[in-house]
Amino acid sequence: MDERDLINRVRAGDGIAERALYDAHVDRVYRLAYRLAGDDALAQDFTQETFIRAFAKLDTFRGDSALSTWLHAITTTVVLNGLRKVKRFHQREADLEAADGVSGARREAEPDLKARLRQAIDALPQGYRTVFVMHDIEGFTHEEIGVALGVETGTSKAQLSRARAKLRESLADFAGEWVS
Amino acid sequence: MMHDDEKFNEWLQGAAKGYHAPRPTPYEEMWAQIQAERAQRARRVVVLRPWMRWGLAAAAVLVLGIGIGRWMEHEATVRGGTLVASADTGGNRDVVYQVAATQYLSRTETFLTGFRADLRAGRVDTRFMGQARDLLTTTRLLLDSPAANDPRMRALLEDLELVLAQISQLEAGRDNRNSDLITQDMDQRSVLPKLRSAIPAGPVPVRTEGAI
Repeated sequence: MDERDLINRVRAGDGIAERALYDAHVDRVYRLAYRLAGDDALAQDFTQETFIRAFAKLDTFRGDSALSTWLHAITTTVVLNGLRKVKRFHQREADLEAADGVSGARREAEPDLKARLRQAIDALPQGYRTVFVMHDIEGFTHEEIGVALGVETGTSKAQLSRARAKLRESLADFAGEWVS
Repeated sequence: MMHDDEKFNEWLQGAAKGYHAPRPTPYEEMWAQIQAERAQRARRVVVLRPWMRWGLAAAAVLVLGIGIGRWMEHEATVRGGTLVASADTGGNRDVVYQVAATQYLSRTETFLTGFRADLRAGRVDTRFMGQARDLLTTTRLLLDSPAANDPRMRALLEDLELVLAQISQLEAGRDNRNSDLITQDMDQRSVLPKLRSAIPAGPVPVRTEGAI
């Protein structure tokens, strides 16, 4: 079925069309949410909220971009706002633990490359990390990222370049891995 | 020959594929949650919207009415020397308070009637506590206004203040005994009959039409 027809049927309250729209897009939305959140429960929550909002706001979709691009814009908004709340919550917990003097001993840096890479990506500024995950891991184009995040394509490219530079710096110990 | 940066980028793209690698998409699980959440939000909208719209409109009328009343009172005090002007202003002021009080009494009557009905059906939820707090604020505002100069109105407002304060402190679904005590208290004090007799006949806009 043509995407335009599908959208019109969803707008008309067709439940089967809603499910078809969900089936067509949920995989990519969930993957993106998971990559950014790193947690299955959060990824599911963010994906559900994305579709709830999308169905509620579908009347405002004008078709200037692909439906997937519009959906990914909602996804990134939901995920980034959600992660900010989670971060604030964890920060409060950490502050309380520190105040109680019950914080565990600092973990030694894990020596293996996979763990170091994960830590390095986690440590990127939010903007850099989002662009890096979307482009280098999930394969979005800079144009798609620009629309989803509401930034210029050039900004997306610049942030990716800075993200890679920071990662290279963080992973300098492992230079042999890519130089060889 | 490949530049170092290119080599690194190529290596990075491959190595990063394992970053927060998602598990297979739980299609059905999430779809069920989405449907449940949408149904719940739709119910919330249907239940709350009429209350909120009506409640906000009534509250706005009350605040405006009491504000105008106080302003007129102040004007009358300032221009106290002129007997005619002072008498006119006093009359207008009473009308404003009357309108405000009528709106408030109608709203409270509907609220208490709904509260009793839902209580009998075992459906009292937090919505009622919020509404009761809202009405309690207005009750206290009216008790502090010339609307409470009339002894019968003051007595009614004081009864309502007590009932609303009790409802606002209920814990949803966990306070059956206190809920029963509130309804007993309402019956003993004949709150609803007194309330109904204090409201002029007709729907709210008609009741206030003549006054304005």
